[in-house]
Amino acid sequence: MIRHLVTRRKSAPIFGLRRRAIGRTVLFLFITILGTIWLIPILFTVAAAIRPQADIINQGMFALPKGIHWQNFTDAWRVGRFSIVYRNSLFVTSLKPVLGILVASLAAFPLSKMRFRFSNALFFFFLLGLTVPVHVTLLPLSSLLRSMGLGGKTVSLFFPYIAFGLPLEIFVMRGFFNTIPNELLEAARVDGAPSPTIFWRIMLPLAKPALATLFITDVLSTWNEFLLALVLLTGTQNYTVPLGLAYFKGEFASNYGIQMAGVLIAIVPVLTVFLVFQRYIISGLTTGALKE
Amino acid sequence: MHIHSLTRLRRKGPSIEPYLFLLPALVLYVVFMVYPMFQSLLISFTRWEGLETTRTFIGLQNYKTIFFDDPISRLALKNNLIWIVWTLLLPTAMGLGLAVALNQKLPGTVGFRTCFYAPAVIPLVAVGVMWSWLYNPHFGFLNELLRWLGLDSLTRSWLGDPNTALYWLLVASTWERVGFPMIFYLAGLQGIPQQLLEAAELDGAGPWSRFWHITMPLLRETHIIIIALQVIASFKTFDIIYTLTGGGPGRSTQVLATWMYFNAFQYHHNGLGAALAWVISAITMIVTFPYIRIMSRR
Repeated sequence: MIRHLVTRRKSAPIFGLRRRAIGRTVLFLFITILGTIWLIPILFTVAAAIRPQADIINQGMFALPKGIHWQNFTDAWRVGRFSIVYRNSLFVTSLKPVLGILVASLAAFPLSKMRFRFSNALFFFFLLGLTVPVHVTLLPLSSLLRSMGLGGKTVSLFFPYIAFGLPLEIFVMRGFFNTIPNELLEAARVDGAPSPTIFWRIMLPLAKPALATLFITDVLSTWNEFLLALVLLTGTQNYTVPLGLAYFKGEFASNYGIQMAGVLIAIVPVLTVFLVFQRYIISGLTTGALKE
Repeated sequence: MHIHSLTRLRRKGPSIEPYLFLLPALVLYVVFMVYPMFQSLLISFTRWEGLETTRTFIGLQNYKTIFFDDPISRLALKNNLIWIVWTLLLPTAMGLGLAVALNQKLPGTVGFRTCFYAPAVIPLVAVGVMWSWLYNPHFGFLNELLRWLGLDSLTRSWLGDPNTALYWLLVASTWERVGFPMIFYLAGLQGIPQQLLEAAELDGAGPWSRFWHITMPLLRETHIIIIALQVIASFKTFDIIYTLTGGGPGRSTQVLATWMYFNAFQYHHNGLGAALAWVISAITMIVTFPYIRIMSRR
């Protein structure tokens, strides 16, 4: 290997460099064009949302919008009952991740730090949940929730949402807890600290990075969830945003401006969370599946 | 990774403490996932229509119907297979290509990463509504673009043709799904030591050769994960199809998940619906199981 470096030093660099520079420029242009194409759907949604219906019909797609037709947005908000739908989604999306991660962390604590007979079996049991799609629980879940008196109400979503989120969250929290040195816990035990105290005062605070990543990922999945909401919720006053949007599309099929305004109202929050917390989201994706 | 707890020695017999911590998770998990799952399995072995209280045990007949008798179930299966093949070919390969490209440390990598992954972050229903607008025959972007370019003859009702509607749905799905493999492959690529590639280059290996013989094999773990996840997502796919075509025109774009939904919740053929759901699950379970084994050993 070293001999190679020594003997090839003179002839390799110059041609290689120029060819590489051209290659990189072409690649960059290509990616830029592709990226622009990728943005088109969102750009045109914005363009349609800010134009009145009449304008779209008369002037066609490519006419420049003349200012922002806010009416589309207020109509979507009011007529599409987005204020209610938003409130429901905000309710579920802000609480479910907290509850779910808490329950998962509580479970991950013994799985990681206590030795007991069924520890591995239970961990495996939870992991298996990753293989299960929500589709197989729909029918029984709707009867079960109805018999609990929660039929069709937004609150009913909490239960399956938390349950389905547990496998991944337990996996990640347990993995993270494993990295916390046992000496810390032993020292606390020697000082007489009971387990709950160890959990709250040591495990959770140290797990902040994992908690943050899980939280953000959970927020996104919860906001976007559709199938369970579709099946379990009845009545527009209980709908979450994706459901409201689908219903909205059915009702206002012919008014594109309002429809697109509705889409924007629905996606702006998640896009904002994404743009702000990109790092967490992307690291969250790969953490759960690759290493750790 | 276990504590040799001093207090443990003083306790009489096994502690119930771990189980107390596990209790909330176990209760929620069993009551709202495991138990319903098995109830569904039982329902799938019955004939249960509408809101009747009578269920007749019919064994595997529903499954026979799905695989052999019901033309729409068979179409749905076929559509799911088409969906998988397309998804593995297009968005996955593109994701890999983009990852390789972005790994070259071009300027603006973060911007590109954002723009290709952003579609994956928004609700699929929103993706559906956006693309229904793009595909609109009268005012939609695609047809308008064609008219503007003078290619009027190519304009069409994109989602209205039973023969091709599924493919236009796949285009929308591709838009949404390219970012996901891209992110994974980027992470995987960053695990490949630069020296290996540089050494190969000095030895005279061209870019393609380096890619196929070094990069691809080293990405093996990422490949497995991505392929598994894409296969599962393809069988579960529901939102986009439901929003854009509702399984139509006719039933041409039905997939297992949508057909299950219609059977269970609109026609109230509960037994058949449950069986369809279990077909989906069986597939996802089989595909993910090897994975779970690996994860459980970590």
